Amino acid sequence: MPNKSGSLYGLTILSPIIDDEKATPSHDLQIRKYLASLATDDRSPFALAPGTHLARLVVMDDVIYVGMPACEEHLKSKYLVLESNFDGELDDYLGGLADHVPEQLDSIWGHCVAYPGAANRQAFIDYMKACQLDTTFYFAAINDKSLPETLRALHTRSAVADFIANHQGMEPARLQAEFVQFVAQLRSEPIPGPGTGGIARDIKTGGRNE
Amino acid sequence: MSKLNSTDIQGFVLRGYNLPVGRYLFLHLEDATRARKMIGQLLGQVTTGQRWDGGKPESTMNIAFTHKGLVALNLPLATLITFPVEFQDGMKKRSGILGDTGLNAPERWDDVWRSDRVHMWLGVNAKSPEALEARCVKLLATIQESGGATLLGSQDAAAVVIDGKPTTREHFGYTDGFGNPEYLGVERSSQPGQGKLLADGTWAPLATGELLLGYADEAGELPVAPVPHLLAANGTFMVYRKLHQNLATFRAYLDEQAALYGGGREKLAAKFIGRWRDGTPLELSPDKPDFPLTQDPKRSTNFTYGADPEGTRCPLGAHIRRVHPRDDFGFHGKLIDRRRITRRGLPYGAFVPEGEPVSDSEDRGVIFMALNASISRQFEFVQQQWIGYGNDAHLGNDKDMLIGNHGGRGRFVVQGDTRPENPPFICSNMPNFVELRGGEYFFLPSITALGMIALSLVDPR
Amino acid sequence: MSNINGKVYAMNAITPMKPWKTWILRGFFFVLGRVKPLQQDLINLSFIEFARWVVLPRRGFPFLGNGQKREELQYDYLLFFSNFNGTWNQYIDAFSAVLSRGLNLIWRWSEKFPGSVPVTPFKNYIAQVQFDTDYYYTAYPRATANDLKSAHIVQASLDALSLRAQDYTPAQFEEAYLHFVIQVQAHLGETGDAPVVF
Repeated sequence: MPNKSGSLYGLTILSPIIDDEKATPSHDLQIRKYLASLATDDRSPFALAPGTHLARLVVMDDVIYVGMPACEEHLKSKYLVLESNFDGELDDYLGGLADHVPEQLDSIWGHCVAYPGAANRQAFIDYMKACQLDTTFYFAAINDKSLPETLRALHTRSAVADFIANHQGMEPARLQAEFVQFVAQLRSEPIPGPGTGGIARDIKTGGRNE
Repeated sequence: MSKLNSTDIQGFVLRGYNLPVGRYLFLHLEDATRARKMIGQLLGQVTTGQRWDGGKPESTMNIAFTHKGLVALNLPLATLITFPVEFQDGMKKRSGILGDTGLNAPERWDDVWRSDRVHMWLGVNAKSPEALEARCVKLLATIQESGGATLLGSQDAAAVVIDGKPTTREHFGYTDGFGNPEYLGVERSSQPGQGKLLADGTWAPLATGELLLGYADEAGELPVAPVPHLLAANGTFMVYRKLHQNLATFRAYLDEQAALYGGGREKLAAKFIGRWRDGTPLELSPDKPDFPLTQDPKRSTNFTYGADPEGTRCPLGAHIRRVHPRDDFGFHGKLIDRRRITRRGLPYGAFVPEGEPVSDSEDRGVIFMALNASISRQFEFVQQQWIGYGNDAHLGNDKDMLIGNHGGRGRFVVQGDTRPENPPFICSNMPNFVELRGGEYFFLPSITALGMIALSLVDPR
Repeated sequence: MSNINGKVYAMNAITPMKPWKTWILRGFFFVLGRVKPLQQDLINLSFIEFARWVVLPRRGFPFLGNGQKREELQYDYLLFFSNFNGTWNQYIDAFSAVLSRGLNLIWRWSEKFPGSVPVTPFKNYIAQVQFDTDYYYTAYPRATANDLKSAHIVQASLDALSLRAQDYTPAQFEEAYLHFVIQVQAHLGETGDAPVVF
């Protein structure tokens, strides 16, 4: 089924944003402002709730006019796009968001039409599903590893590289003993959580520099 | 494609001269009118791309400008802003992008490169030190008399001489001079491995537009170039970098690591680069050097890595594999066709054979010059993504072993197999074997363009 | 606003399509989803973490009443969301160089698409139809798709060796360890910060 690739789910949600002339600033600008200061590292709502590999939020102002002979047309509302790539089933994922980060959800989707609030878990799930678009074609480079498995593997790789580099030319009995100890240690130590390691970036975007 | 008019292209672009000594002069242009007159006087002497079927000249001379130099010549603003952003910035401003930080940072560069005053480069090559001196004396006289420029400094360079003969060795002991790309219309003969890989496994010359502006490039279009066309066509961009070599550190590190490496010192040195020190490619002869191979142009660069996906012959992070991945990325090598650069350059400083005492603070290294149609798409990309970073080689953040800006950190993995003479091996915490001491981005105009500049005939479109 | 988080870039693009062309595109995606070898090129271009195309028919914009006006559009829209490693230029250069046929099959139904070859008009078109991300989250900002694949290989190899490590004699362990190192030796790159964007 198109929304899934292996164990990964590609969720695309388009939420109409409230169009109220009396709101100052307008609701779409309020969402933008909130998102501009929302943490994108391990304090992100997507890090605090389980399952998200990558996610983005985009305020879509309008469709784009590509020039004659194409016709010019415009959207009557602005839309908030959520593109998320996560493990598991949709209901569990949405429920997880409602359970862990209701405040952030309300701050974002509170500006959208008919948003019921995250306090009512089922209503939130139903609302998001009402705004869901079918992903027509979904590609995931790795589609059979969960987020915890992925973070663990990254941590392991770094530790293994260090171990190999530091144990070159060691005589076998000692190498074996230290290896066993290394594995035990690796199993017991905490793994950096999702979202750690990004640098705090200000407004920055890729260039067209050529 | 159109036939190349080699009388209009500066010789330095089309071929390495193979002359053993060189001097590069860096000039600051004083007054637009006098500078243009000076260029007019020098114009007749500029070495073009015409073949020397009658024997090499005593000396050669070529000219290039920085963006600031073109500004000082009062080219129209509308022309100046059509030059690529990276060229307008100059290499110093791009230091973040290039990873020129820490020991390579501009604060540590030679004065002449820190100053932002270099406008013009005069490259002189010669058959002998006497011929070099004679040519430079005449050039400086012309420059003096014209009042068009002041000499900010110069850089001498010379091929390493061993047993009385100039060689293509550099100070670490590696044989250089392989690996310059072939372009359509430029070479007389073809050498397999130098151009681009085709789907059937043979090699073909690269599109001319990867080197020269005004010709079709590998993307099937004319490369983005400054306007007017006449100013850009038959020209190219040059990256100049003075790379100091910490020879004592290199030898000490090699000694220390070789003691732990089952394949021995020469093999470890070969693993850093991807060629034995005599130039034999590891990919073709992984167990020992094969000097006759290096002398046969049909073989010395004729290989791919398809049979060595694990890097057990030539390490995945070896220098030549990083900068010319050949078929490593799949798609019959198509992803690298637009990332090739032509290298010119010579070592500088006194050569000291192995075993004799040497110090890092002695002045020696290599003057690296790269020619390409697009500095950002070719040189900057390779420097940032393939030298200072390793993701395309599936090596994460690992840097190039030899010229990476290690700062005492990092790893280089020599992939191996179960044979004791080719074990897996990891080098760690590398010092900087090479330090950047300065450089800049230049534009090497065609002879026509030089004439237009001299006569102040550059109009934007 | 940021299109970038760590080593990954979020590209969003929207292009208009005449509704009768949408059906052809759906057909192509149907085939692509079921014929695995067609996806091989995407897998081999190993810098894409996740990518998706969403056909948004002109009457398919979510409508929730409550004062929202219904959209009245002539065109259907094709949305494209990509999460890739490397620079914008590198990404498009690579696609134009090796995936031009596939790209053409997807986007030729969009209005004013110039073709994916040569690359400069293609880049101009993308710049026109691209819109910017307001908020971008990744759980692993210091890793690329290649790093992830390598990490899983290392984890699997380590797990296999750990299982039997204590049962070996030292000599047997030495040999098993050598095989382990050879299995992971091409996958040990460090993770870290992304190069400066240009």
